[in-house]
Order: sequence, then structure tokens, then C-alpha cells
Amino acid sequence: MKLTQALKMAAKSISGNKGRSALTMLGVIIGLAAVIILVSYAQGQNLAMEKYYESMGENKLTVYAYAYNNDVDLAEELSNYCQQISDCVAGITPNEYVWDVNIQYGVQSLGQSNNSYGVSIGGGVYVTDSYNTRPQFYLANDQFGLCNNYTLAKGRELSYMDIKRLNHVCVLGAATADTLFGMVDPVGKEVTVNGLPFTVIGVYAPKGNGTTEYNENGDNWQEVEMSRMDRIVVFPYTLTRIFNGNQSISDFTVKAKDSKSAKEAATLIRAFLSGLVDMENGNGYADVYNEGVYREEENEANKLQQYFLGGIAAISLIVGGVGIMNIMLVTVTERTREIGIRKAIGAERGSIITQFLIEAAMICGIGGILGIIVGYLGTLIVGKLAFKIVLIPGVGITVGAFAISVALGIIFGIYPAAKASRLQPVDALRAD
Amino acid sequence: MLIDIKNVYKIYNEGQESEVRALDGVSLRIDRGEFVAIIGASGSGKSTLMNILGCLDVPTYGDYSLDGTDVTELSDRELARIRNKEIGFIFQGYNLISALNAYENVELPLIYRGVSILKREDMVMEALEKVKMADRAQHKPSEMSGGQQQRVAIARAIAAKPPIIMADEPTGALDSRTGKHVLEILHTLHEEAGTTIILITHDNSIAATAHRIVRISDGRIVADSMNDADLQYSVAHEGGAGA
Repeated sequence: MKLTQALKMAAKSISGNKGRSALTMLGVIIGLAAVIILVSYAQGQNLAMEKYYESMGENKLTVYAYAYNNDVDLAEELSNYCQQISDCVAGITPNEYVWDVNIQYGVQSLGQSNNSYGVSIGGGVYVTDSYNTRPQFYLANDQFGLCNNYTLAKGRELSYMDIKRLNHVCVLGAATADTLFGMVDPVGKEVTVNGLPFTVIGVYAPKGNGTTEYNENGDNWQEVEMSRMDRIVVFPYTLTRIFNGNQSISDFTVKAKDSKSAKEAATLIRAFLSGLVDMENGNGYADVYNEGVYREEENEANKLQQYFLGGIAAISLIVGGVGIMNIMLVTVTERTREIGIRKAIGAERGSIITQFLIEAAMICGIGGILGIIVGYLGTLIVGKLAFKIVLIPGVGITVGAFAISVALGIIFGIYPAAKASRLQPVDALRAD
Repeated sequence: MLIDIKNVYKIYNEGQESEVRALDGVSLRIDRGEFVAIIGASGSGKSTLMNILGCLDVPTYGDYSLDGTDVTELSDRELARIRNKEIGFIFQGYNLISALNAYENVELPLIYRGVSILKREDMVMEALEKVKMADRAQHKPSEMSGGQQQRVAIARAIAAKPPIIMADEPTGALDSRTGKHVLEILHTLHEEAGTTIILITHDNSIAATAHRIVRISDGRIVADSMNDADLQYSVAHEGGAGA
């Protein structure tokens, strides 16, 4: 029997038993789609994590240091030291969070107070504040963007001269600019900060969705953190007199060149600070945190979750396989009779096995393609709902899962045929 | 001699308490062009005999020569070729493939034989016309009556023009009128094409239409006689259950 004949025969058999073919395909479709969606979900979670860490800035060190004797200017000293170790440090900025600031443009104002955590949005109307919605005010230098991974959308960053001359300027986060200015270009505009005139010199590109919109239920925590990073206003740190009750700067962010130099820089800076701050006598405090360490821990936890999801995916693949096997075994009687008939009218064993092999391959191939389509659609939906990104399954998992489910289908599909074709025709005909 | 079996045994569960001798030393010779009825009660071994004659089953012991070939020595593949080329089967339960329509069912043995598609079309339609089922070519078995299905099964058996037709209770599931029609087709085939017909039945009146009657009981041939006019008359009037 020619191959084209076998192909035609298999196609006839599939279309002649639509119910059975559909059920078998369903097994393949469910198994495959489940694997693709679950594995993609795990990958999506990783992606969201990656995106978050990227927005935070890679290879970041957080330095916390203060000294009670005010003759040491830690900001100046640290900045100078970091220039000395520039082979492992790319930048340093004060990263001082300040309270009790109000910024106003026209009738729009944004504020935040240490006591009430209140935000007033327009016309002095206060709304309930929360960590997720209040603006963030920072004192920093010209390297704030570099260290915290902000890019400029408009205007310029703080400059060295702004710091030196105590210029009344500020750079806005995307959400802050959106709230205060709406459609107006903020660059060059004058705003009022705690009653003093300030000029907006730049706006950062958004990290989250770039607005103050916040969906309490829908967003995952990475999203919340990222949109929080858009609600900032950055002032020259030398204006500490206006914002900080003239206290010294104690929070810094250091950007290391890479993850290896981050460890080195942390050690060096820690050593440098211990020489500067008299911790032993309780005259100050200093420490350096390596953000990369948290990230590694997070990755470990993620890996566990991926194994877990992978396990579920493997189970669903097996369930799909068992589904296929079930259908094949249920129809084994009918098929055995059919094989008996075919043998009685002169089919050789080889032609029967060829036909059944092609039939199983066709059913599983079509089911597999449908399964991939369902899996891709499901992944897109899951990506949109869970991570708000366009999530597309990896090629490896798609090809791998397709190959496994098709192989399972073919093995279970051909098994009854191989067994029945070995029988004497009369025994196969007798099956019921 | 077309068919020649000698001392054929078919024994199930040999040596055990439940041993069954379906065929207990059967010898039979059938010549080309004969119309033979093998008659016996249910369980007499007549179907087992047909299965062995038709190469659907192998004997436990004994020799079988088909057209001079020792069938017991043949491989699975060669047996398939013999079933395809030499023998056309008609079963009591029709044994059509339910997923295929009448045309495709009749076409099947021709496909396995390797007949080209153009020739196949002529042969299939010729066979369907012979059993007056040409107008039902596109119907599936589930859309046909029992008589129609059996006629399609006959068309399948004769499509490749095999020298031997074996029919196992071909009228068993049919009413007497349709049954008669099926028998007429077999007789026409025998007379016009000279096909050797082996008809298995438990029904004396059907056996009586054959030219030779072989009676089988408990796995043994108990009578083998030409069916002359007198006998044909007497058998037809005995009626009732056989053997």
C-alpha cells in the first residue's frame, strides 16, 4: 500500500469518527495548553521581578550613615571617596527622603506631612493618604538619575552647579509632573515649594504607568513600587536647610559598576565609614546594604516556585496523556474488529500499522497545533491580567511540550493497533 | 484440486480439562467451480472450518493445500495476500467498517491489492451494480438496512473477482425475502463467473440450494453428498433445524 493511500485512509478514519477524534484531540489540547500557560506564568513572574529590579537600578548599594559631631560632612567625604574608588563605583548620590513638603503649581498642589501623611490634590482638598499614593521628596545630587536608574524625558538633571550654588530647582517624576501640570510642559515653569519659588528643570521618564492612577486590587506589588517611583520630586541636597531642618544627610545610594564590584565597593565603603564615624562610642552609625543580595534571595524563592509550577505542568501533561490513552483503550474493541476486517480482506500488518500511525500522528498533530494556539491565547490573557505585560511562551517549552504530547498520543494510538494486528484475523473479528 | 485439507484439527485448551475439539480430524476436497454448502448445528465446528479454509485462522494440526500451495507454511504477509487475491468473505454480521461509506468499503480490498485508482472506480461500481447498490455508494453502513449492508459486503467480496467466495451464514441476520435475494446473487455469481462458493449455514432449506452438501457435527464430517434433484426435494420438505 502506498503512503498516499495510507494518508487518505487515515484522513477518512478521522473524519469518519468525529467524536472519537475530537475527544483524543481534546486530551492533547488540554495537556499542551496547560503546560504552556503554567510555565509561561512562572516565566512572567520572573519577568515582572526582573523589570522591578531593573527599575530600581542594578548593582545598587544603599549607604546609611550619620555622625553626631557635625564637623564631618559625610556627603562631601563619601562623594570624594567614591571618586577615588571609581574603578568599582559608577556614581553616588545622597538619597535623603524629606517630610513636610508642599509643592504647588497654579491651583494644583501636592503635599505630604510627617504628621498626617495627607495629600492635597487641587484647591487644598485633602484625601486620605497611603504609602501607595503620597508623593516622595528627595534631596540628591547630579547623579540621582544614574544611581536610581531614571532616564530623562524632558529638560535636564540637577547639575553640579545647582548643588554648589544652592539653586532653587527641582526634577519631577512622571506622575508628579502629570498631576501638577497635566498637558502643560513643566520644564522652565515656576512652582512654589514650601512658599519659595522653584524652577522645574527636568522630568523623568515613567517607570510604572506614569500617572497617579492606582488600582488598589489589580496591581501586584512590583507595579505599586514602580509607580511609587514615579511620584517623586528631587531637590539639590545642599538645600537641606529648607527641607530638613538643616540636619546632615544620612541616606546615600551608590551605583557599582557591576555585581562583582558591588561587593568590593560595599567592603571598601564600610571600611571607609568606620574610620569616619565613631560608632564604638555611640557617636554615630554607618552601614552599607547590597541590594543584589536581596535579589539573589528573591531569585532563590522564585526558583522554588518555578519548580512547583513546573511540577503542576508535568502533571497536567501526564493527565492529558492519560486522557489520550483512555480514549484509545475505550475504542480498542471497535478498532480491533476493524483491524480484523481489514486483515480478512487482505491488509498486511505493515499497512495497518502505517495507517494507525499516520492517524495518531494526524490527530495529535492537529490537537497539538490547537493546543499551542490555546496555550498562546491563555498565556496572553494571563500575562495581561497578572503582570500587565505581553507575555509570550518560550519556543523551547512550546516545542518540548508539543513533542512530548504528540509522542504520547502516537504511542498510545498505535499500541492497540500493534497488538490487534498480531492476532489471527478470526480472533480480531471476534472482539467485543 | 482447489482446496484440499487432510486430518485438520482445531483444538482449544489442548491437554486441559476444558479442552475443546472444534475440528476433530477433518478431511475435505473442494474442486474449482463447486457450490458447496457446509451445514451443521451451532457449535458443530462449521464456522471454525470456514475460518481455516479462508486462512483467517490456522489449524492446530493438519495439512491444507490451496490451489497447490501448502498454506500452513505461509507467513503472515503471504496469508494476507491469499485472503486478498483468492478469497472473498461474506460474514453473518456484514463486518463493514462503520466510518467508511459503501463505496469506500468495497474499494478497500482493491487498495490493499494495489489496484490503480482509475481501475478501482470501475471495479467498485461494477460490483455495486451487481448487487444493485450503486445508488447507495455514498451511504454509510449506519444509513442502510441489514439487507443493503449484506449486499455491500457481497460487493466487497466480489469486487476483486476472487476465484473463491466464502459465506458464513450470509442470510442469518436477514428476513427470508432479503435472504433469498442474497442467495440469488451467490447463484448468479456461481453460474456466470464460475466462482467457487462455500456456504456455511445451519439452515437445511438454504443448504438445499447448493450442489453439494457437507454435513458437520461435533467437529467431524458426518455426511458429504451431491445434491441431486430428489435429495434437494426431500431436504426442502424436511425443513426445521439442521443436522
